[in-house]
Amino acid sequence: MTTTGSTAMLEPPRPRSDGEPPRSKRNLAKRVLERREARIGFFFALPAFLLFLAFRFGPAIAGVGLSFFDYDISGLLEWEGVANFERMVGDPVFWNALGVTLLYSLLAVPLSVALSVVMALGVRRGFRGSRFFRSVFFLPVITSLVLAGAIFKWIFSTDGPWSQLMTPFGLDESWLNSPVLVVPALVIVGIWSRFGYGMLIVIAALQDVPRELEEAALMDGAGAWHRFRYIVLPHLKPTLFFLLVIETTASFQVFDLVYVMTQGGPAHASYSLVYMLYDQGFKYFDYGYAAAIGVTLFVMTLVVALIQRRLVGRDK
Amino acid sequence: MRHKRLLAGSAMAAVAAMTLVGCSSGSADSGEQTVTMWIYPVIADEASHRDYWDGIVKAYEADHENVTVKYEIYPWANRDESLATAIAANKAPDLVYLIPDQLSTYQNSIEPMDEYLPAEQKDDILDNVVDSITIDGQLMGAPLLTSANALMCDKNAFDAAGLTEYPSTWDDLMDIAPALKEKGIYATQYFAAPEVTLNMTFYPLLWQAGGSVFNEDGSEVAFDSEAGVEALTYITDMAKNGYIEPDLISTFPSLEQTAIATDQVACTWQSAPADVSAFWGEDAIVIKPPLENEESVSYGTVGSLAMMKGSSHKEAAGAFAAYATNAENVVAYDLAANYFSPLKSTGELYADDPIQGAIEAIVPTSTVGELFPSSREVMGVLAPEIQAALLGTKTPKQALEDAAASAAPLLK
Repeated sequence: MTTTGSTAMLEPPRPRSDGEPPRSKRNLAKRVLERREARIGFFFALPAFLLFLAFRFGPAIAGVGLSFFDYDISGLLEWEGVANFERMVGDPVFWNALGVTLLYSLLAVPLSVALSVVMALGVRRGFRGSRFFRSVFFLPVITSLVLAGAIFKWIFSTDGPWSQLMTPFGLDESWLNSPVLVVPALVIVGIWSRFGYGMLIVIAALQDVPRELEEAALMDGAGAWHRFRYIVLPHLKPTLFFLLVIETTASFQVFDLVYVMTQGGPAHASYSLVYMLYDQGFKYFDYGYAAAIGVTLFVMTLVVALIQRRLVGRDK
Repeated sequence: MRHKRLLAGSAMAAVAAMTLVGCSSGSADSGEQTVTMWIYPVIADEASHRDYWDGIVKAYEADHENVTVKYEIYPWANRDESLATAIAANKAPDLVYLIPDQLSTYQNSIEPMDEYLPAEQKDDILDNVVDSITIDGQLMGAPLLTSANALMCDKNAFDAAGLTEYPSTWDDLMDIAPALKEKGIYATQYFAAPEVTLNMTFYPLLWQAGGSVFNEDGSEVAFDSEAGVEALTYITDMAKNGYIEPDLISTFPSLEQTAIATDQVACTWQSAPADVSAFWGEDAIVIKPPLENEESVSYGTVGSLAMMKGSSHKEAAGAFAAYATNAENVVAYDLAANYFSPLKSTGELYADDPIQGAIEAIVPTSTVGELFPSSREVMGVLAPEIQAALLGTKTPKQALEDAAASAAPLLK
């Protein structure tokens, strides 16, 4: 069997007809580089790759290294081994921050993804004014979070409109003053600021859903829910996986909202892991401990992304 | 295994590179010398601030031909992040404006000023200012200004409530609080958001109750004492009874978004006349001595020029710091900035100003509190517990005990 160069790059290694094992990845890379256009492409990509190494990968590796040291701003560096991680395990503030981060993520990720899908379905068809609504829904994404945070602080204040709105439900206090309601308040603002981006991604994915399938189902008497469940949703699966991963990553790294609206309060009720990292690094200059928190967050994000891949993205 | 070795090697190389950067040194003191200085908007109007320093620099350079002084006015916001990053990268200025708790935080990176200030200039510094900027017996900065947080009351609010007597003690303030509340006025203002330094909020109450943040040698925290519980109970009672603005327990909005801007706060020790004069009018500002319980004491800060250990031109930087903080220049700067002199020889700067004059009178008795390297970390664990007490989720005693337990491993 002969294959063209381009398909060879895309196809996974498979047993050869003569019974020999598949060629190694190294040989594949060598063969790819032998091609002139591949070499040119490689050289074009090289500057960006080097910049990535220097400014993204390098600091990340340095961060991992730093987590094993006690580093003082005066330049003193002392090997600590895993002491920073041991301290973290015994630190109630860390466990509180982890709990806050997980709670925020558990609330924000599914709600944000669900709202993105619902809004995308709502403005999917080119009805009159659909473009206007798409722009309006996307507006929070490009709105300064500092500005939005200041406004939401007023909205959630004791005399603000949200408290008035919640009066019939007995929740007329300032949500930012309540250790129980502060995270839901942040989740509301977080979803408000992010769902427009997810909506845009889902709208793009919905363009690929074959209209004829939906029309055929409609002819067969399938209702809106069944058309969504059995036709639209399977096509959205890779997009939902992508959204889940980026929303989870963003939620695990929630900082700006906390910084602008609550500074981790009240009483550490909204003190997220990244906010703790910031405090340790830039308020207390305990860089080793801050790096250890960063490494833990990285591992956590990676593990959750792998689990999500297994649960949602296994078909792709 | 190979990957692990590669990872470890890369990490070590990166850390080693950072160390090398941090340890590199500048050139020696010889020939043309450039002194760099970071300052912050101490004079609020930037043009006036620049005019002031341009004049000082020009006068100094005229007498020191081989020295050039370059200064930058940075914003107050995130100043520690900028400075810490600069120090770590060996890009810190020769001189930088620091307040006492920063002197304590950066003490390993600061060159003491003792040998750079003339003896008579050192002797001229107010005793409480010397205490505020001395760490381990060394003068960590050349003082430029000082301040004090007096009790400031709003005459408009008192008139509205039909009150004529201003409070002198904790009990006085608590006693008039119900009458004020009836008129929709908060007895005081208490910012409990974690970004607000406890120096301005809780610590003055703690000191007034006769307590302290640390024990004498800084080996243990002492805020969980009976005095601490009394201080926290006082402000918690205020919160419970609706005598302070509830939103300020968790947020730190700009002053114009708070009750103080609408004459709904009777007295405060957490703002300065310049902050409220636009809302109250100068005539309504009444300055009183700090509230008294066991004693009457207030927080006051000291702004000083500190020299970084990494400075390449220590002699020149020290000489410029001494010049910029001599009596003549200090008076000009403090009058322009509405602050107070840290020197004895300058006398009263505001004898003809009833507001500033009244605050100036308490400068010699104000304090920056106890300075230890872990002061900020301790604030970091104490502030959320104070919030918990104010919100009623913990008793004052429990909150302080929990904060003390969290603070214990942080003490350096």
